[in-house]
Amino acid sequence: MTVETPKEAWTGTVREVTLGATADQGGTRSRTLTVGAESTLPFLHFEASIPNPPALALEIRDRKPDDWSPLLYEAWGDVMDDPAAWAKAAEEAGADLVYLVLSLTTSDGSPNTVENVRAVVRKVLDATGLPLAVIGAGQAEVDNELLVAAAEEGKGERLLLGLCEEKNYRTIVATAMANEHLVQSRTPMDVNLAKQLVILINDMGMPLERIVMDPTTGALGYGIEYGYSVMERLRLAALQGDKMTQQPMIVTPGEECWKVKEAKVGEGVPETWGDWEPRAIAWEGITAAALLHSGANVVVLRHPENMRRTRSMIDELMSSKAAG
Amino acid sequence: MAQHQITLKPDGRSIEMPTGSTIAEAIRQAGLEISQPCGGQGRCGRCAVIVDSGNVRRRSTIRLSTEDVEAGYALACQTVVEGDVALQIPEQEKIIRRLVTDRTVRAIDLPFAYDPAQLQNVRVFELNLSLPTLDDNLDDLARLQRGLADQGLTDVQVPLPILRKLGDTLRNAEGSFWAVVDSDDWTRPIGPARVVDLLNEAIEPLGLAIDIGTTTVTVFLVDLSTGTVLSSAAEYNGQINYGEDVISRIVYAGKNDGLLQLGDAVRQTIHTLLERLQKRSQIDPERIYKVTVAGNTTMAHLFLGIPPASIRLTPYIPAANYPPTSTAKALDLLVNPLATVDMLPGVASYMGADITAGVLSSKLQESDDLTLFIDIGTNGETVLGTDEWMVSCACSAGPAFEGAGVLHGMRATQGAIEEVWVSSETYEPSYRVIGGSKPSGLCGSGLISLLAELFVTGVIDRSGTVKLDLDTPRVRQGDHGPEYVVAWGKETVGGKDIVLTKVDVENLMRTKAAIYAGFSVLASKVGIDLADVKRVLIGGAFGQYINVEKAIQIGLLPDLPWDRFHFLGNTAVLGAYMALLSRQAREQVGDIAGAMTYVELSADNLFYDAFTAALFLPHTEITRFPSVAEIWEVENGATPAGKDQQS
Repeated sequence: MTVETPKEAWTGTVREVTLGATADQGGTRSRTLTVGAESTLPFLHFEASIPNPPALALEIRDRKPDDWSPLLYEAWGDVMDDPAAWAKAAEEAGADLVYLVLSLTTSDGSPNTVENVRAVVRKVLDATGLPLAVIGAGQAEVDNELLVAAAEEGKGERLLLGLCEEKNYRTIVATAMANEHLVQSRTPMDVNLAKQLVILINDMGMPLERIVMDPTTGALGYGIEYGYSVMERLRLAALQGDKMTQQPMIVTPGEECWKVKEAKVGEGVPETWGDWEPRAIAWEGITAAALLHSGANVVVLRHPENMRRTRSMIDELMSSKAAG
Repeated sequence: MAQHQITLKPDGRSIEMPTGSTIAEAIRQAGLEISQPCGGQGRCGRCAVIVDSGNVRRRSTIRLSTEDVEAGYALACQTVVEGDVALQIPEQEKIIRRLVTDRTVRAIDLPFAYDPAQLQNVRVFELNLSLPTLDDNLDDLARLQRGLADQGLTDVQVPLPILRKLGDTLRNAEGSFWAVVDSDDWTRPIGPARVVDLLNEAIEPLGLAIDIGTTTVTVFLVDLSTGTVLSSAAEYNGQINYGEDVISRIVYAGKNDGLLQLGDAVRQTIHTLLERLQKRSQIDPERIYKVTVAGNTTMAHLFLGIPPASIRLTPYIPAANYPPTSTAKALDLLVNPLATVDMLPGVASYMGADITAGVLSSKLQESDDLTLFIDIGTNGETVLGTDEWMVSCACSAGPAFEGAGVLHGMRATQGAIEEVWVSSETYEPSYRVIGGSKPSGLCGSGLISLLAELFVTGVIDRSGTVKLDLDTPRVRQGDHGPEYVVAWGKETVGGKDIVLTKVDVENLMRTKAAIYAGFSVLASKVGIDLADVKRVLIGGAFGQYINVEKAIQIGLLPDLPWDRFHFLGNTAVLGAYMALLSRQAREQVGDIAGAMTYVELSADNLFYDAFTAALFLPHTEITRFPSVAEIWEVENGATPAGKDQQS
């Protein structure tokens, strides 16, 4: 007996967005990253085309972070002391995008400076040919100052700048437009808010082809189901033709997972939780896998092992076997 | 270039202008004045002129209706001359009046033909009783009852306080005096009648209609013999000090003597208003024999001194939707102590007598047209229906449009800015103040108007955030975050700048979003498209004038043709007034309460989703507001986001 697979004929398509610029395009990247352009839900190849696989970004810092899990220090070792070396290691680990997050302070505790940020951005761009994201530390006034410097330093490179949030987006968008970059719009797990921020950024004159949407996620066990369903609803709206929800989605499972107890703590937890390291790595990996199924186009990770595992899952789901 | 003769009436001046000049340029060249508060952007419509003859081309007619254009109206800033033209410059004040659709609150006319003998239950009867003699030895009470029975009033009750003064009145007046009789009350319809006063002279009995709003209390003083409103007054509800919304009042009522304090607070407000009426109309409050009260269910409980706790707790059941009739004495109201106090009936915990009375006065229930009734007050109640069915819902909208919870908000009285225009070139505002004096604050209509102008001119973005990077001193970082200066200190009553802060904008946005979400979810729950609504009736105490266009621009009202909107003012007090006049109207309020189905919005996520979608200017889906999208495009020179864009 043959069963006919029901197919949905979607009217909308996710917008195609390209990060990074090669020499021909006015930048210095050895390759670019294109995401989006699918006209169906994740991995449903039988229904419509999915031209670009989901991408993996690796989070690095402009200086060695103080509060990361010991397992991450173990995994990366000395490269964390030098953003250029870390970026290179990220490339070797299989990243499609280097996701550089700036710190509020430098390693000696003094406030981060424009000069330092320029130097770090330059070093990272020189160390790797991957496209680069530069993300602020999360304090509006500091971010606005540091990101303008980063944007100017990387002019023409089609960097991804963030985070644009409803209460602080104008300066970042303005500098991104002036220096030919893209922006990441972040909103707190709500379909309407996600859409509204895309509209606000677009109202300033930023083309939709240069906006990547971050609907915010939670770690497994910490609100992922809510984030998952918001992403799913955004994607369904996009495929139904709602233009302002058609941005590719980026989410940060690495950041979310490595701050929860299950990943961060090795001692004083119930024995039934099992061994620390495999548990912690699985926490990030499973969260990322779930998010890719909810429509994420880019997941930002922290552990090198999850670069390998997630890549292998994506490859399998994108292969012709899966398509059959 | 060809020159054309432009004749300007009524002045009669004439001037030559080349092809392509605007009428505004011609008027200024001729040395005449034309008002252009929006800076000649074709947006405010205040430069409208009438073209009597000649060739003109209208570049934009956004502020004009088809009928206006047919009547010859053209915007001076948006109309160019292409031949000899004769035109009239109307008086500015007339233009302002024309620009709004039915924004004038209806004058308080008699709502129906009033015959007290037919409709009124409180009336004065003249008595000519024979004095007792040894032969006619009926006691005073039976004598009074016999006299009233002669006038058709049987089994009239005479309460003790009346009995106490009956003997003296009867003998001093030698049998000729007047009795005020209340012939029925609502707990015991159609009788038995009750004597409420004895008088030595004929008087006009008075009545009081009260709307106890969560934020504003409004009273009408009514002459019950003619039915006319002698005077009206409004004041913020003194309970505001104990919480801005009904929930916080209910919580407060549950603490120690909170219930007593809240009862005293609203009584104090009513007494303040009574004193004001007394001063104005020189009336004796003892002559007020009937009081009819509308108010939401929580306000009713607090006024009657009934603990409201159950309203707040699932399953949200009030002590009474149909409270029994009471007396002024029982409620410590400083009118005649025997006066009947009738709290009108409501539907549910969050659908009270203010809405049943409001629906009555709006006449929603008398037409088969699909009608939306919106009470733009603190609790954002909406009723949708026809003469055959009615559904309703409520949402916590907040007091922003009544001027509360906004830094420089005020009620719509003398000194309130009631309309604002902002120039899209300079961001400079111009405004109109109630009473024409210096401004002291912004009332609801002024706030709606200001928010719309700031949005359309791009001073704030679509989420309501003030753009501090604009090149004007009007935007600045204030004590309460980014703000826009509407009036500099030197122009104002208090000498301080009047500003609209970020927090104010957020409050206004939440209020308008809750109201829009309320009626849009209600419509979708009963499967109705808002476009099919034939009439939108709007009640609320937010201002004397409301500009439909601006209310649509901020997404408070649905984008429907302007002629479908009717502003009714405070409908709750109008309903209480009708019930005060007529026992039939009083019965209708009960019928409306019985016929209305209440929809609980908190039952699912629909309302929350609709609310966050509406928390944007005018709405996240700008396609719901095509007329606003058009204006936005003109002002911002860009395709509005949300419209079809090719990637």
